[in-house]
Amino acid sequence: MLNKIGSRLNRILLMVPLILREEGASMEELCDALGAGREEILADLDVLFLCGLPDYGPGDLIDRRILDDRVYLSMADFFSRPLTITTDEALALLVAGEALVGAGFFEPGSPAGSALKKVGDVVPGQGRGSAEEIARHIDVKLGANPGRWWEVIEEGLERGKDLRLEYYSFSRGDVTSRDVEPLSLVTSYGHWYLLAWCRRVEGRRLFRLDRIISVEMIDPTGDGRSDDGLEMPELVGELKPGRNAHYVKLRFSGREGRRLLEEWPAATFTEQDDGTLTVVLRTRNLSWLSRYLIRFGDRLRIESPKKLRKLVREAASKMLEVYG
Amino acid sequence: MEKIERLINLTAYLLESGRPVTFGRLCRTVYADVSSKGPALHRMFERDKDELREMGIEVRAETLEPEGETGYTIPRDEYYLPHLELSPAERVALTMVSRLFLGTGTPFSGPAHSALLKFAFDVEGGVDADAVPHVHWVGVPRDRRLLNAILDGLTGHKDLRFSYRSMGSSEPVQREVSPYGLFNRRGSWYLVGRCHLRREVRSFKLDRVTSPIEVNRKKPHKPDFEVPDSFDLRSETRWEWPGGTGGTARVRFEPRLAYGFSGGGARVEGSRRREDGSVDVTYVVEDPEEFVDWILEFGAGARILSPPGLVDLAVERIRGALEAVEGNA
Repeated sequence: MLNKIGSRLNRILLMVPLILREEGASMEELCDALGAGREEILADLDVLFLCGLPDYGPGDLIDRRILDDRVYLSMADFFSRPLTITTDEALALLVAGEALVGAGFFEPGSPAGSALKKVGDVVPGQGRGSAEEIARHIDVKLGANPGRWWEVIEEGLERGKDLRLEYYSFSRGDVTSRDVEPLSLVTSYGHWYLLAWCRRVEGRRLFRLDRIISVEMIDPTGDGRSDDGLEMPELVGELKPGRNAHYVKLRFSGREGRRLLEEWPAATFTEQDDGTLTVVLRTRNLSWLSRYLIRFGDRLRIESPKKLRKLVREAASKMLEVYG
Repeated sequence: MEKIERLINLTAYLLESGRPVTFGRLCRTVYADVSSKGPALHRMFERDKDELREMGIEVRAETLEPEGETGYTIPRDEYYLPHLELSPAERVALTMVSRLFLGTGTPFSGPAHSALLKFAFDVEGGVDADAVPHVHWVGVPRDRRLLNAILDGLTGHKDLRFSYRSMGSSEPVQREVSPYGLFNRRGSWYLVGRCHLRREVRSFKLDRVTSPIEVNRKKPHKPDFEVPDSFDLRSETRWEWPGGTGGTARVRFEPRLAYGFSGGGARVEGSRRREDGSVDVTYVVEDPEEFVDWILEFGAGARILSPPGLVDLAVERIRGALEAVEGNA
């Protein structure tokens, strides 16, 4: 993995061609594309301003101008095309590609395979330390079983159709029918979700695929919503519950409480000096949380709410009865 | 002069000059303002070359006639992104691939993103992002440092050292492991490697690692071990099972939950619907702990019938949870 200076150099060598490709680039585009803040970009431009070719006279140095929040460069033609695909980049693509093949997104012999081969061919090096060699030692399984509804959901996504779902709600313990516009398939900590615009509640909802009882493709009954752009931070935000949710505080005697991220990515974690972990999260769904928490056995203390303690006690007692 | 400027100048010069540049010439140009002299300066140049190589920029050396001096260049055909000539279908596929890890906080998210930016250079107007099926891995940064250390170990074949609390034991134990592989199952990361303590290949769940992972820094360019040719990550995972080795498990689901049995957890080997509507399902189980956790989610609606080791694990969890809430009520 690249160190700090390597990452920075990488960013600069990508920033220059992005600016030179068209006539300049707006500050906003650069921040978005490079995932960096304004200050960082400005500092990088300051560095470039001091660089160039021998003899480093005024006519040899890279020139940068910022006009109306648009950045222009000149005297940097030697960096007008980006650096080739690096080992880190090829590795990320190979691992992701394998994961998607394993999850059934790509057939063997599909365009993904030939595209990844073209990428592999331009990355230097074979044998030890090469992207291909390292990728053979990394395996990402995207959820054990994407479920029966995979194909119809994918088709709905591709053709822009609506879906009618029968969905089992764990919190309410019953089945509801919903018409939704599919937006994306999301995998999070081993579960697959359909992210969709729910026409009934007029909002985005996540549906866990293993809780979908049936799916039927139907013609859209409303305006499209998928054009409002999907951003990853927003997607993670989808997993956040609303403000009116219960405030839950838990204490764990070990680090494995971090697994709560599987279900509550928005939870906050504080590690104490004595090795205990305090987790604060919000959820509307205490009954499901109570069953979920049983896996932690005696390594967990519930600080609040009291109602959750009661639910865990009820759930655990009932389960013990089942096991006789 | 800052190091970053020096590296940029060195790259620009060796790329642009079109013919090999001698070290002497570099001393009078790129390194003119550097205070180091003689052998120290040469070491600095060597370190700079290493730094560029880490990034994927190869500085080539060649012997120059007639004096036999060494000249350095960065060949343009190696530096610049080649035209990949991707078909539209390949472009869609590659966009989908590079998007999978975006913003996940794994060591793959940054590189996947920059690769995506690079591919866009050969496409007029870019790829129509909405035409590409959205498949995302959603996560929040965790274990990032541990993953970086493991990747360093895998890349350089260097041993790793960390504390690990194994299933069923309360105290962490210091382990030294030669990393053979890394995998992710149901959202959890696992390191596979030869454990020097147990003298065999084991899987380590990152959630159970209780310290930072240290990469052996001695002799960084010399590998500590070779991965045996017979090693295959996809078949070699050895799970620690309570009271025996892995295999199958049977679970009974009450009628209300009978739809759910094929949903997650593990591969279904067989199922049988009973007269009262409940279903007995046989699973092939890999990670016993993950499996028990998954079944516990169904509450009183699902019960593990066998093997006894997994029943005990489930009962132990339930009892523990009950004692814990009664203890702090």
